[in-house]
Amino acid sequence: MDLEDRRRASSAVNRFGLGARAAATEPSGDPRAWLLAQIRRPPDGAEWLAGLPDSLDYLRRETDLMRELRKLRRRGATATGRGPTAAGHPEPRNPFQQRFREAFGDDLRRESLARWQIAATTTTPFAERLVRFWSNHFAVSVDKGPVRLYAAPFEREAIRPHFAGRFADLLLAVETHPAMLRYLDQAQSVGPDSPLARRIDRRLALRARRNDQPARQLGLNENLAREIMELHTLGANAGYTQADVTEFARALTGWSVPFPGQLDRGRVDRPFFYRAAAHEPGTRVVRGRRYPDTGFDQARAILLDLAASRATARHLAFQLARHFVADVPPPELVERLEQAYLESGGELAAVYAAMIDAPASWSPAARKFRSPQDFLVAALRGGSMVLGSRAQPFEWFAARLGQPTFMPRSPAGFSDLAADWIGPDALWKRVQAAEGLASRVPRAGLDPRVLATSLLGLRYDPSVQAALERAEAPQQALALLFASPAFQWRV
Amino acid sequence: MISRRDLLAMIGGGIGVASLTGWAPATLAADPAGPRLLFVLLRGGLDGLHAVPPYGDPGYAALRGPLALSPAGPTEAGGIASKLDATFALHPSLTFCAHLYARRQFMPIVAAAPPYWGRSHFEAQDCVENGTDSPSGAETGWLNRAVGVLREGGLSATTVTPLIMRGQAKIDEWSPPLPNRVNPILLQRLEPLYGEDPVLAAAFADAIGAREEDARIDGSMRGARLGVGQRLPSIFAAAGAFLARRGGPRIVFVEDYGWDTHANQAAILTRKLAELDRAVRAFHDAVTPAWGRTAAIVVTEFGRTARINGTGGTDHGTGGAMFVFGGAVAGGRVGGQWPGMRPQELYQDRDVHATTDQRAVFKGVLGKHLGIAEDTLARVIFPGSAGLRPTGGLLREGANT
Repeated sequence: MDLEDRRRASSAVNRFGLGARAAATEPSGDPRAWLLAQIRRPPDGAEWLAGLPDSLDYLRRETDLMRELRKLRRRGATATGRGPTAAGHPEPRNPFQQRFREAFGDDLRRESLARWQIAATTTTPFAERLVRFWSNHFAVSVDKGPVRLYAAPFEREAIRPHFAGRFADLLLAVETHPAMLRYLDQAQSVGPDSPLARRIDRRLALRARRNDQPARQLGLNENLAREIMELHTLGANAGYTQADVTEFARALTGWSVPFPGQLDRGRVDRPFFYRAAAHEPGTRVVRGRRYPDTGFDQARAILLDLAASRATARHLAFQLARHFVADVPPPELVERLEQAYLESGGELAAVYAAMIDAPASWSPAARKFRSPQDFLVAALRGGSMVLGSRAQPFEWFAARLGQPTFMPRSPAGFSDLAADWIGPDALWKRVQAAEGLASRVPRAGLDPRVLATSLLGLRYDPSVQAALERAEAPQQALALLFASPAFQWRV
Repeated sequence: MISRRDLLAMIGGGIGVASLTGWAPATLAADPAGPRLLFVLLRGGLDGLHAVPPYGDPGYAALRGPLALSPAGPTEAGGIASKLDATFALHPSLTFCAHLYARRQFMPIVAAAPPYWGRSHFEAQDCVENGTDSPSGAETGWLNRAVGVLREGGLSATTVTPLIMRGQAKIDEWSPPLPNRVNPILLQRLEPLYGEDPVLAAAFADAIGAREEDARIDGSMRGARLGVGQRLPSIFAAAGAFLARRGGPRIVFVEDYGWDTHANQAAILTRKLAELDRAVRAFHDAVTPAWGRTAAIVVTEFGRTARINGTGGTDHGTGGAMFVFGGAVAGGRVGGQWPGMRPQELYQDRDVHATTDQRAVFKGVLGKHLGIAEDTLARVIFPGSAGLRPTGGLLREGANT
């Protein structure tokens, strides 16, 4: 291979993938063909995900747990308690948290382990990076309690199957998933003039009159409608108004998650439920277009139009180019991805193919700073670390480095800009983490110089070599490798 | 090159901060008697009507329904609010803040907003942070520019640098540490490598420089609990310790998340405001030697709808509450102009009308407290704000003399 071939092979693995694996020889042959092949088949990882509960299972078990806790509370049992915890914390555990942990702790651990295992071992790392890109584009955050069980299934059920299909299908899968419906408060949004609101209003008005209190209003919640437009599709400043947001929110009323009663009656076969009684009747006008009241299909029609919009094409093109190529992506690249989106009718595979094909995507000057999760995954793969049965240490590192899994704390997701990750304190913590990670690399047959060659490629330059040569022990050399500036960039 | 002094500090590890002040890097030259500023951004949109309920407004109870609070007694939304004056009260969770109010060291300012009124979290936060009148008005943060103008130390108590602290001026960063001490030899080997990376060189050098100064606060945080309800008080306590330190930063930035209460607002804010209240107390206790020279500003990107929505919460709005507190603050009154809550008084028949541009308050504090000239405030720190008069009367007379 000549120098240019080596450089491209390294870009395929690092810029578009998750970092080299120590023993791997990929990509063998043409890097473009290697990337293209990954979006034409289901991504690796099925064996790790097999046997995990689906969202409907979680909904049923969560409902059971809520009932159990309500019963406990009614009986006046305050603590199911073991009193102070093993660590000697003075306050007794919250009984809810304790029962939640007992009921779901194993599931959460398995979900976490599966995700790290896939990242560590996948032979379709470009596909995996795309899955993670969309998970972050459609961010949900598990610091909101009702979302906690559903973030991992959200990625498995809504993102993974559609990551290289039509954007419209991905969008529909995302916006009907319980994780999103709960995270952005859609599940409880009720049309103010819907049959349900009128029924409940009458009852509450009666009670209010008896107690001489103001009547509680049931109604609209516009959170999901706004973020779909601003973050998921059109992008900020794309010409929509507050009236468009409110109209879209009205159309979305009824999109919800099955309630306990429905789960009991066994009439539910998926974790989405359209509550016709909560739907706001009437024609809606969004961005100048009229949508007759067709129930569930009204908001669906709006979503499809949003997906087909030029603003959406532009927004997604920019986000993808920024994620893979550069913080400030070359305008001609964004343009090219936008065209591919519009010409293919929103086929994501066509957009990815255009990106792989564009010379700007392979520019030697382009580089992206690894986010904390990227950094950890690259070290995990590069160091052939063994996860065993627990991914907990990696979750801990991710949280301390500022990127706890599925917890961006904002529907905008984690930042994709170097400036947000390269503060002095953040760099310091990376060096600390690098030491911790180096101590997890199996020692058998370890030659740091050989490893550095395969992980850094052409960036294993004389100054890095000199530093590695002087290391006193293999573990120290590895810490240096993981902490080196060359390892922090996807080039 | 890493200096011998850095190495000593790092090898020594446990060396007390007192023995290090003799080394005096640039930021340690600050006047120990100078004013201190804590700036807090609550991301997500704190509901001002919930934190500072206008119980005396004739429109309040009807619009707020089950979310209404009262100083007369407990309501469905919570306990007894602390009465501030004939119109306003403070949320029952804010007990320490009410205590500071009684000491005239806490002032809520009602109906405040950044100049952007578009109801997007991200654009509104960008606007609060860049200090201009639009979300895309500047690429750098106004707190960074203030640090640059003062030529004093600034510190961001965050894991990642937020916009408000980004820019030309050097900013220290700090967040709760990882437990391991780094091998000094490793740092020595890394330093030339980072020196060659144009983007990372400065940040890496700062990372090493900051370590010795932070050693003590890191030490005190190492065993700290960062679980639910503990994070904010721990970080406020660290912020207070930094500001109180001889030669420490003049300006510290802290942020918090989770204020976007579209549903179940009463329970969430009861918990979140209690955490904020504990944080204010922790900050007070930690900054105490410098408390009399300290002002703190707490803001959020927007207020929320005056009416409650269908899910026991509120949606994105406009006018909201902000807080100014500290030993240098002339508190004990409610600031701002109350626009009222009758339908025709609401902004777009929906939100509390914003009558105070947050930047007027920022300018009032930066001018009087930090001594930044009005012209500099209007041109450099809040560009294009010459027509916006700084809010007066925020600081105690003679607070910093």
